[in-house]
Amino acid sequence: MNFSDYIQKIDRRYIFIILAIAVILPLLFPLGLPTFTTPPVLSLYKHIDEAAGTDDRAVFMDFAQSPSTLPELYPMDLAILRHCFLRDIKVLTISYYPQGAAIMQMAISEVKEDFPDVKQDVDYCNFGFRNFALRVPITLGMGDNIAEAVETNAAGRRLENLPIMEKLKNYDNIQVCMEISGAAPGIIYINYARARYGVDVAIGVTAVSAADNYPYLQTGQLVGLLGGLKGAAEYEELVETFANNDIPYSEKKAQNLSWRNQQYELSKVPYKFKQARIGMDAQAVAHVLIIIFIIIGNIGYFIEKRQDKNKYVK
Amino acid sequence: MMETIGIWVAAFLTLSMFSFLYKDNPFYKFAEHLFVGASMGYFIPYTFFNVFIPYAYNPLFLRHNYWLIIPFVIGLGYWFRFSNNLGWLSRYPIAFSMGIVGMGVPMSIHAQILVQMRTMMLPLTNINLILIFIGTVSILLYFFFSKAHEGIYGKFTSVGIWFMMVGFGASFGYTVMARLSLLIGRLQFLLGDWLGLIK
Amino acid sequence: MKRTIPLLIVMILGMMFVVHTFVPHKISQDFYNWYQTWLKVMVSFAVILGVGSLLMVHTNKIKRKAPAWGYSWLTILALVGTSAAGFIWGIEDGTPYMWIFENVNAPLGATMFSLLAFYMASAAYKAFRARSMEATLLLIAAIIVMLGRVSIGNAITEWIPDITQWILNVPNLAAKRAIKLGVGLGMTATSLKIILGIERTYLGGGKQ
Repeated sequence: MNFSDYIQKIDRRYIFIILAIAVILPLLFPLGLPTFTTPPVLSLYKHIDEAAGTDDRAVFMDFAQSPSTLPELYPMDLAILRHCFLRDIKVLTISYYPQGAAIMQMAISEVKEDFPDVKQDVDYCNFGFRNFALRVPITLGMGDNIAEAVETNAAGRRLENLPIMEKLKNYDNIQVCMEISGAAPGIIYINYARARYGVDVAIGVTAVSAADNYPYLQTGQLVGLLGGLKGAAEYEELVETFANNDIPYSEKKAQNLSWRNQQYELSKVPYKFKQARIGMDAQAVAHVLIIIFIIIGNIGYFIEKRQDKNKYVK
Repeated sequence: MMETIGIWVAAFLTLSMFSFLYKDNPFYKFAEHLFVGASMGYFIPYTFFNVFIPYAYNPLFLRHNYWLIIPFVIGLGYWFRFSNNLGWLSRYPIAFSMGIVGMGVPMSIHAQILVQMRTMMLPLTNINLILIFIGTVSILLYFFFSKAHEGIYGKFTSVGIWFMMVGFGASFGYTVMARLSLLIGRLQFLLGDWLGLIK
Repeated sequence: MKRTIPLLIVMILGMMFVVHTFVPHKISQDFYNWYQTWLKVMVSFAVILGVGSLLMVHTNKIKRKAPAWGYSWLTILALVGTSAAGFIWGIEDGTPYMWIFENVNAPLGATMFSLLAFYMASAAYKAFRARSMEATLLLIAAIIVMLGRVSIGNAITEWIPDITQWILNVPNLAAKRAIKLGVGLGMTATSLKIILGIERTYLGGGKQ
């Protein structure tokens, strides 16, 4: 068997092993690669941060997730909730998927461990699970009156009786509608909530759908976009740098990597708030590996093609 | 204690799934069938406590809003979906749910078509906006198969193909990132939560 | 009758919703509130569709003793066990039901999709070939985006992240916009076909 045959016909289980090693090693021995921020994430952070300290503005989060999207979207959930709790921003959460509702509850519980002063129904309200068929009616109904559209929180209490809802009436009081989703993200909010009521919409998506949503960014239908693990890592970085240190957001500082690196030590950050950044080390190595695979595969292909051509010519 | 047992159960099931990479085996089949059953079983109590009780049972039986018996009975039509003789009853609740499609027509025309077209035809003030305009128009023309792609028209639509290839390349790059992220997540669990090797 | 009345319901409701979108009058709002209230009652029964379908498939496999029929018992037991846990002990945090979700559903769901990473690596090695100029362009764009999204791209050269962002903001945007316009027109056409009764597949088949 010559070289090109050998590299073309290698058993794919060897490829699996190489990939596994390429991912495991950076997780065990972190490389500490820096996180570079991008405009869609900066825009979202700035937008959410503008609601800091107000009691008549809230961030609305829709957890359209399932366990299969946990690695990419869960760090986003934690980062955004942490940002809101650090900066005293009210949060309203809902999910139209049963599994999303469980993930939502997990995320809130996990972030709340570090914020004993954050009170349910005062600083945040979990609306719980609603059937998927009610997505459009509730989305539209919130434009008139959130309490009437949603009716109760996850514990079954009427929303109009809750302290948090005193000054939160409808979309005029929503700073941003944030959908964190693994599939068709933001369509309902863009088509219905933004089109009819003009509320700002942002999305956190798996990397598969990130590239598809850039048209919405350009039109302004989205004010921000978190794309996959990279987007989560960027947002974690911004929360760690600004919100956790109580530093007002500045775009110039946000894009200054050396200034950001001086604001915190990654080793001192709780693991749950740096999952995405740790994962990006392994991501970088794996990306390089995939590129090497593509190049080697194509080298073998072109060698084989030339050999076949020479055979034919002979 | 339960947390430790839970982590070991999760690790066992994760490794059972990964065993498929070597070859199909009983551990993988066990994990796969368990997943299907547990996922569906998860929906039932959640829907009962979060949808049926607050929206159907409470208004009808506790708040005595008896008009709601009508949608209650129509909703029961779903249960006949699998019946050969009475399957037609399920069409009524389905038809009622589909009614809201009417609102999607003007909304999606506005958000998906008009806003996108308006932004595409912004004053073409810089090279990027010109490229976006050319790219979008050429791709739309590429998908117009009623005219043969020949001559100048054919050359222009091939520009659309180039734009599409770059777009799909970007999507592919992101897809690679997504798939690897999922693997990284599982390995973080195995190495971190289960084996405690990641600090 | 069995198809005509549902089609009429869709047509009337669909048209009323089109009108409702543009009419801010109280009558329009009352209609919407009425629809919401009725829909909330009906949808709680829809869960039976997925459960019933799953049970039918697996009970048939058990009856026919199809290959690997023993695993169908596992599926049914898992379904019944998880549901029972939810009904008996509740669905709040800390219950057996949530324990099953956190330690069975979540890891299995996540792992099932993570297998794709391995197959994608294998495909990258064996199938992603630059057979034509278009395929080469696709692969080059993919490689630039892959490098640009991680720090290694910046370490190679500062141009890579900038080129990545340009690819996403210009050619990718143009391509996705054109596709979205097509999808938007398709969605609108399908919605109109549903309202006008031309598209009827959602009603299901059957002789009736």
